[in-house]
Amino acid sequence: MPRPALSAAAAVVLLALLPLGTGGSATGAEDERTTFTVGMSQDVDSLNPFTGIVSSAYEMYQLNYDTLTDYGQADFAAEPSLAESWEVSDDGLTWTYTIRSGVLWSDGEPLTARDVAYTFNRVMKGKYEQTNFGSYVGQIASVEATDDQTVVMRVKAPSPTMLHLFVYILPEHIWRDIDAKDVTDFTNEPGPDGIVGSGPFVVKEHKKGQFIRLERNENYWGEKPAIQNLVFRIFTNEDSLAQALRRGEIDFADDLGSNVFESLEGAEGVTQFPATYSGFDEIAFNVGAALDDGTPIGDGHPALKDQRVRVAISHAIDTEALVERVLGGHGTPGTSVIPPLYQDLHYDPGASAYAFDPAEAARLLDEAGYTEGPDGIRTMPAGGEDAGRKLSFRLLGRASSQTSQQSVQFVAGWLEDIGIEVKPKIVSEDALTEIIGEGTFDMFEWGWVVEPDPDYQLSTFTCANRSYKDGGSVFANLSDSFFCDEEYDALYAQQKEQIDPAERAGTVKEMQRILYEQAPYVVTFYYDNLEAYRSDRFTGFTPQPEPDGSLLFQYGTHSYRSIRPVTAEDRADGKEGTKAADDDATSSGLLTTAAVVGGGLLAGGLVLVALRRRRPEHDVE
Amino acid sequence: MGYVVRRVLTGLGTMAFVLVFNFFLFRLLPGDPISLYTRGRNMDREQLRELRRELNRPVGEQFLGYLANPFSSGVDSTQFSRPVWDVIGDYVWPTLVLLVTATALSAIIGIAIGIKGGWRRGSTFDRTSTGVTLTLYAMPEFWLGMVLLILFSTGVGVFPGVFPSGGTLTPGIEPWSVEGVLDQAWHLTLPALTLTLAYLAEYALVMRSSLLDEVRQDYLVTARAKGLMDKLVRRRHAVPNALLPTITLVFLNIGFVVSGAITVETVFSWPGLGLLSYQAIRGPDIPLLQAIFLLFSLAVVVANIVADVAVAALDPRVRT
Amino acid sequence: MSVDQERDAPVLSARQVTRARRRASAGRSWRAFRSQRTGLAGLAVLGVFVLLAVFAPLLFSPDELKVTEALGGVLDPPSARFPLGTDESGRSVLALVVWGTRVSLVVGVAATVISMVIGTLVGIASGHFGGMAGGALERLTDWFLVIPFLPLAIALATVLGSSLLNVIVVIGVTSWPGTARLVRAQTLSVEARPYLERARVLGGGHWHQMTRHVLPNVMPLVLANTTLTVAIAILSETTLSFLGLGDPFRVSWGSMLDNAFASGAISSGAWWYLLPPGLCVVAIVLAFTLVGRALENVLDPRARER
Repeated sequence: MPRPALSAAAAVVLLALLPLGTGGSATGAEDERTTFTVGMSQDVDSLNPFTGIVSSAYEMYQLNYDTLTDYGQADFAAEPSLAESWEVSDDGLTWTYTIRSGVLWSDGEPLTARDVAYTFNRVMKGKYEQTNFGSYVGQIASVEATDDQTVVMRVKAPSPTMLHLFVYILPEHIWRDIDAKDVTDFTNEPGPDGIVGSGPFVVKEHKKGQFIRLERNENYWGEKPAIQNLVFRIFTNEDSLAQALRRGEIDFADDLGSNVFESLEGAEGVTQFPATYSGFDEIAFNVGAALDDGTPIGDGHPALKDQRVRVAISHAIDTEALVERVLGGHGTPGTSVIPPLYQDLHYDPGASAYAFDPAEAARLLDEAGYTEGPDGIRTMPAGGEDAGRKLSFRLLGRASSQTSQQSVQFVAGWLEDIGIEVKPKIVSEDALTEIIGEGTFDMFEWGWVVEPDPDYQLSTFTCANRSYKDGGSVFANLSDSFFCDEEYDALYAQQKEQIDPAERAGTVKEMQRILYEQAPYVVTFYYDNLEAYRSDRFTGFTPQPEPDGSLLFQYGTHSYRSIRPVTAEDRADGKEGTKAADDDATSSGLLTTAAVVGGGLLAGGLVLVALRRRRPEHDVE
Repeated sequence: MGYVVRRVLTGLGTMAFVLVFNFFLFRLLPGDPISLYTRGRNMDREQLRELRRELNRPVGEQFLGYLANPFSSGVDSTQFSRPVWDVIGDYVWPTLVLLVTATALSAIIGIAIGIKGGWRRGSTFDRTSTGVTLTLYAMPEFWLGMVLLILFSTGVGVFPGVFPSGGTLTPGIEPWSVEGVLDQAWHLTLPALTLTLAYLAEYALVMRSSLLDEVRQDYLVTARAKGLMDKLVRRRHAVPNALLPTITLVFLNIGFVVSGAITVETVFSWPGLGLLSYQAIRGPDIPLLQAIFLLFSLAVVVANIVADVAVAALDPRVRT
Repeated sequence: MSVDQERDAPVLSARQVTRARRRASAGRSWRAFRSQRTGLAGLAVLGVFVLLAVFAPLLFSPDELKVTEALGGVLDPPSARFPLGTDESGRSVLALVVWGTRVSLVVGVAATVISMVIGTLVGIASGHFGGMAGGALERLTDWFLVIPFLPLAIALATVLGSSLLNVIVVIGVTSWPGTARLVRAQTLSVEARPYLERARVLGGGHWHQMTRHVLPNVMPLVLANTTLTVAIAILSETTLSFLGLGDPFRVSWGSMLDNAFASGAISSGAWWYLLPPGLCVVAIVLAFTLVGRALENVLDPRARER
């Protein structure tokens, strides 16, 4: 019995080891059709644009569908997409878009202005459809196709966002069959012909949790991309992602952690690209939680309502150390809430920035009356309502983010140094959303990714976007600091109607100045998007914005349309490394594998033998 | 056959308990159930009201609805925005492949080691193998997985990084072509090896001790005293009788096996139910977590019933 | 251990007899244990870990655990200054491993105590009381025995939230059924013995029977089982922490492995961050297992020859 069993086991093991020869064959994909494989860490939650919420899903939507206009590759300026031109009336209330002629959907049906009007009307009149796209159409009064090539939109007031309507134009002939009820369950998974769209690629195959495969849209109206197959492989951990790139299983890796990114240094054929990015992390304060009607909620610490305390804490946080220690140097210390990537809009406090200076922080707190008690912890000023209450803050971090947890530990350490007690806690992002909405926190660590249009980011500090009450429960809205300032709100309303970019930029900067001074946030850092790619196989990436923005996962599909395989000419330039197939290493590796596993087990056994050797034996035999 | 009927009835009772327990465990969660189920979702006020109506029905009414069909939770997965059982359906196969491979290999190897060690009790082989198996038994299986990954996928020092670090298949390869099957086997190697090593310890230890029990039985002592060939005694009498508890263990161990899958699939990015559990924890995606818990528990109950019936079929002594 | 022994010493009171008998039996057990080399080796390893846990603050100041005080670089390899290299925040891995011993031991022991108390109570009660009550408890034990441990622990930990206390509670309340079943079987066999029959006839109440007769006889077995349960509890703590369900601000071996995995130690080839916590888990679990097996050999003659 045992012998046949053992040999069977051996056979199974051998079978498993057989494909050694094919181990390196992933590199052979370039022979027939050009396949570009991107590794990413997040599966697409839904291919239905009305349902999906994660960023990887939006990447698929913009590859598969078009929008009216695009954000430019070099500097985010509006540029034509489906709309080849546009006009605005003198009063700023009527926008007329001219749709390209001769555009076909990927199934061969013509794409006309009627599809555009259908999509916008569906979003404006739909309920479920509002969830993802409502924020783009709020100012629009009506949308109408006057002929096959013309769309006319009327707006309620002049608006600067009419060239940034990120609504994916859907084929009416497909979507009219999916009514308001069905759309909530509609998965939009690709059929044999893929998902019908007009973008440069068509989603052909989605193996959930594993990969999404797109093919070039042969009906695409613009210049056809050089890559024919575009695969997004999903990795649930970064180590696998980096390994796959190193081994040539994928051509591009996005959003890497700094340690994993560093580990790619010197990998053959791989180029590291730390792209400046539009995201920031912050330590947010509960500056006085209240509902949108002003009713106080939650149990935030009263000291944080005092701007002087928040400024003192700003001085106590060493943003440069955070960039060095938490981001491995791949980022920039933070100041205002619009990242410097958007150089026209970013407010730089310059000399008035809060420098890291614990002594200054302590001095400010002393001056404001928050003096140290006998146990070294500061208390609320004498004479006030909460006189004598300790400065002891709850600081929440996010379970899903290593950088968040590290930041929390650092900030807790620094605050203790200036006599503030910190109770750190790690919770899931979803739980944190709920806690924030109810105002039952003092400080937390989170971040935002800021869109090229500043409206959304700025709206998160308005009085109206504080939590709201519905049916007896409190729900979170966009505001997470409960900041509320009349002057700020007035400026917010003003920028919403400023069509002149320079004028609007002035308002936007002034708003950021107020935020910096009032300090509802300490913006800790602007992090880089750590990308890496196989420069031995592909070239022609175009960063957004120039010169060092992200190469993929941009606003628009710019890079996907410009990437091309490395040619013999490029190789002659010596820009690329050698091919990565290590077949020799593979076969010799197997022997080592076996030897090491065996050796390890043997060593463990020997220790035990040594231990048991002298045990008296009562053997049965 | 009374025995089998009784065992099956007990199994069904357990199943009923699992169903009820599953319902109430997740009602214990503190806080407003609605925020728990909608976390992170961008829902409008109207939708929230509808969901609230669903969740605010009296518990008794909800419970009856749940009992009528436990596999159709009224609430979708919060991460996937789809019915939870649809999501689970996508992840079942990889887990089955991995667990069946690892269980088969570990049972075969473990039993072989147990037989050899038990028959020659106290020999060098016995001492070595017991030491190794006890060490393996003490190892967190995900740590073993990480060590194998760093040695044979990343490659450290003299160790080559030759194995893929995750997934089941290189995209672009036709899964059922010769190359595809080999590619899948190649991806399976490290995770299956990890679980095999983690599981085989228990089989070896149990096989060894049940063989020792068997060896002490009078009939065997007699058989050996009569001068029957050692090998023959072992193959005809001792091993077949001693195998029964170990084979039963294969089924009884499903709970343990499932636990190993959760962490090992995570380490190897193996897109099965274990990885799905990990993603559900990190959410947390409560509806999904609840469904996975139900599935795992029911799988274990079914395996227990199968084990009982198998024992009855193989061993006439319990068939009363 | 038998009725005869009690008759042999008529001068002493019953209680004194019992005590003397137990002392003698404990002495015998210790002598038997001493002959088990592997058990002794396990005990020695445990001793080392206990010393490390107790004297951790003397070896490494608690400041070494603070990220703001960290002096090393990110994932630095071992050096004279940091014998086991540094973690992703530049802290000494050696200091973390030593401090991690505390959490692992505390969780292991505390969870085991919870599990033992529940398991023993349920086991004795279900064995002692026949009929409906005992049957119901037996059923309950069987049901919980079937529910797979890790999924249940995950569900509970998600419900309760992540803190050290919750980890202890979760492991404690999920691992009792095994003990309960063992204790129940032992209780049944004790109850069948003649002196318990005598106690019953003499009018001893349930409480008297259970505490004076059943419990003392069940305890040795529970003790052996305890050491095995501690091993499992430590493994469970490691697994739960790795899954992110532990207390992220307390250094434990499991949370170190979680951080190592999450911060890319595998890609960086940072074996110095991965190996030490894992090896410690293996060593301590193996030690508890060896001690447990040795105790079983001593206390349960049937198992002696395995």
